[in-house]
Amino acid sequence: MRVLRALVFILITVAIIYLLNNPIGTLPAIGKLLDPVNGCWTSAEPFHKNFSSSFKSSQLISGVTVWFDNRMVAHIHANNDHDLYWTQGYIHAYFRLWQMDIQTRAAAGRISEMLGEKTLKYDRTQRRKGMVFAAENSLKAMEHDPRTKGMVDAYTEGVNDYIATLCYHNYPLEYKLMGFAPERWTNLKTALLLKYMADDLTGKTDDVALSILRETLPSKTLDSLFPEHFPGTDPVIPEGTTYEPAILKIPQPPASADSLFPKISNVIAFKNDQSDTRQTGIGSNNWALSGARTKAGAAILCNDPHLGLNLPSLWYEMQMQAPGINVYGVSLPGAPGIIIGFNDSMSWGLTNNYRDVKDFYLLKTNNNNTYLFDGKQLPFTKRVERIAIKDKDTFSEAVNYTIHGPVSYDEHFYDDKGIKAPVAMCWMAHRGTNELLAIYLLNRARTYIEFTDAIQHFECPAQNMIYADKAGNIALWGQGQFINKWKDQGKYVMDGTTSKTLWGSDIPMNENPHCINPLQGYLASANQTVTDTTYPYWYNGNFIELRAWRINCLLDSLHAATVQDMFHIQNDVYSVLASNILPVMLEYITSENENKEKDMLKELKKWNYDLAADSKAASYFQVWWYYMNEEIWHDVGKSGLYPLNERTMQLMVCDSVFAGNCKAAINHSLEECADSLSKIKNKEWYNVKNTTVKHLAKLMPFSYTDLQIGGWNNVINAATSDHGPSWRMVVQMSKDIEAYGVYPGGQSGNPGSRYYDDFINNWVKGEYYRLLFLPNVPKQSNSKIKYTWSIEP
Amino acid sequence: MRSFISILIIAFFCLLAEYYFSWWSIAIVCFLVTFLFKLKPGKAFWAGFWGVAILWLTISLFKDIPNHHILSQRMAGLFHLPGYSLFILVTVLIGGLIGGLGGWSGSAVRKLF
Repeated sequence: MRVLRALVFILITVAIIYLLNNPIGTLPAIGKLLDPVNGCWTSAEPFHKNFSSSFKSSQLISGVTVWFDNRMVAHIHANNDHDLYWTQGYIHAYFRLWQMDIQTRAAAGRISEMLGEKTLKYDRTQRRKGMVFAAENSLKAMEHDPRTKGMVDAYTEGVNDYIATLCYHNYPLEYKLMGFAPERWTNLKTALLLKYMADDLTGKTDDVALSILRETLPSKTLDSLFPEHFPGTDPVIPEGTTYEPAILKIPQPPASADSLFPKISNVIAFKNDQSDTRQTGIGSNNWALSGARTKAGAAILCNDPHLGLNLPSLWYEMQMQAPGINVYGVSLPGAPGIIIGFNDSMSWGLTNNYRDVKDFYLLKTNNNNTYLFDGKQLPFTKRVERIAIKDKDTFSEAVNYTIHGPVSYDEHFYDDKGIKAPVAMCWMAHRGTNELLAIYLLNRARTYIEFTDAIQHFECPAQNMIYADKAGNIALWGQGQFINKWKDQGKYVMDGTTSKTLWGSDIPMNENPHCINPLQGYLASANQTVTDTTYPYWYNGNFIELRAWRINCLLDSLHAATVQDMFHIQNDVYSVLASNILPVMLEYITSENENKEKDMLKELKKWNYDLAADSKAASYFQVWWYYMNEEIWHDVGKSGLYPLNERTMQLMVCDSVFAGNCKAAINHSLEECADSLSKIKNKEWYNVKNTTVKHLAKLMPFSYTDLQIGGWNNVINAATSDHGPSWRMVVQMSKDIEAYGVYPGGQSGNPGSRYYDDFINNWVKGEYYRLLFLPNVPKQSNSKIKYTWSIEP
Repeated sequence: MRSFISILIIAFFCLLAEYYFSWWSIAIVCFLVTFLFKLKPGKAFWAGFWGVAILWLTISLFKDIPNHHILSQRMAGLFHLPGYSLFILVTVLIGGLIGGLGGWSGSAVRKLF
């Protein structure tokens, strides 16, 4: 009896320990997690923690000093490049390891390892897009050049030396919550991260949707709704800039359109949620003013890239010093170098250049081993992708590679409705390009010539690269590697059975559209059309115009500009769309609605068109506009693609027949708007749109919601629900550089740290931090320096 | 008195054990202490419970107060608890439960001899 009792006690104890030591469903291992000695409590960083320390690393060649300022921005001072990048890797890992790890695993399609079968489709999409293939290609290029090899090797060493100091006790919190462990960093992971960015910025195209529309709409309508060159655009490279005649011969379409672009509606049945459809919200602004337009007489450069709003933030702010380099700006945890910023001599910024660099080809196959090309059967190259799945057997599939690229979609993948013919993808990001070399050189560039030399290596994702230097020069390049295409090449899904549709030669990089020191005294880009029609090469892309119109309009009227003026412009929420289209919408209101929605219409009539955080009229307009747009383009939208807001605006303002036809939609959508807003108690715009900075694992208590910020993707301060200005930077290139910046996050990735989220409030309010740009000397006495690391070899 | 001493001994050795072994080594410590101290089952449970609970409460507070409750407040959110103090309470209760069960088992085995 006693034996039995003892056994029962022990069994109960063991069973409960077992339950608390293992994850159950989505619940983490509770006992292990709550243990105050080794569990989550180790992430409770003391509020007044002294970060200063001195330690040794056998990997270093010479001593390194890191100064942390009062915002925990790291300022590295090293005596050589190796030590500089080693330290950057170490610091990135120290503050952001989990984020680096999860993002590169996501890039590589390895999320199911942690989360199980529910993310298998995501992982397969990544693999079939050729993400790992692309990263491997770039890795070769990175390791081929001694400069980038040295850079990335040292960085990887630094990350791994930090990882070597970890055991379960001091793992970042999210590892304990999700139940996995850090793994060794590799150069490939850095390549994967860069391809992850390339995918974010160039991965979405309209090719499938446009092909479907081409089959269903008369060509005149298609051109009107989706104009190739947007009427009234204020292009990135100002109108009137002269272009040299093209060095390459401009190709003619090799055959009739119908033979180049097969009908796809009967073979591809994508749903609208397909991952390649354009996402609105990703975009950016940058501009530069020459000294003639500024009060200080020095050039000013501004940049605010709009990316996903996440915690930990995509960016990590830092300064990097070594012989020949003194650069400040934001870096991507997971990659060496500074991506956007300034150095002693010049500053630079990036916005996405939406020229189309991803095309699709429809294949003909008889079996899973060969495909028809120029009358012959060519064998597929098979690349076996193995996806480990938590608590399940590894999933494995052979992805077929063609002369175009990987077969991303076929009858085995993607949609339930099935795809009856395989579709191959040809994408600039698959190439073995070395953007890291561009970053390496940019960080050290002292002159415009060195800037242009540096950006020759930036091939994908294409960017509008803005430049301003201390000598007062400003310049803008629509930079990237592009193909000399015939008209409409790659705009629609192409016939993959013939060499006629293959990509032609590369456009020489020096022929990319650019402009230096224009008469107007400023340059600006905001993802709009890159050039006017005099640029000799043909291109298409997902350009958007509204923000560019507003920026150019504001800059044009600005003289004796100050950095404060720049802050105001970056936080501007004036809606060009509303100011043009709302008066037309109001004209067509029926008297019945005029009565019924009296209060709402009254607010709208006296509105100043600012999408301000506390504006109710902004909510009324945006919601009304949303429903109206849905209704007007209901049929077109079935393709997955809607005409741009600015195009609808032009049609309604300039074409009274079109506007008249919209009368029913205008009135009906007004009722829908009133109905849907009646369900929301607080109708202020910030509450309706709900800008959220979300933790990368979507853990809401680690996130910020309902931020009191105005804006939307059609205004300069492009804060949508989940995207927005991910780094606002203003740099005045005076003798002593005056720089300001803010991003929605904090330097630490640890949710238990005061530095996890401490910039968010300022970001919401549109306030900036003065950036501490230290001189390149081994001893500093600045009072803003709070902590110091001394690392000895 | 024996209970009181065993609580202190449990707290001390649990702290030591946790630095070298997994968190559930606390159950083994409680098992051994109540076994050696020949505690009765009821007292053994509470000795284990309070030994671990006091230890876990002390360590949690040592981490939570200098942290200004940043972490505990966020963790409380994950567990749908209204405030950080409840998160500390849950931590302490779970630790105490495991300690208590370990102690209980220790005394039950002792009874066999």
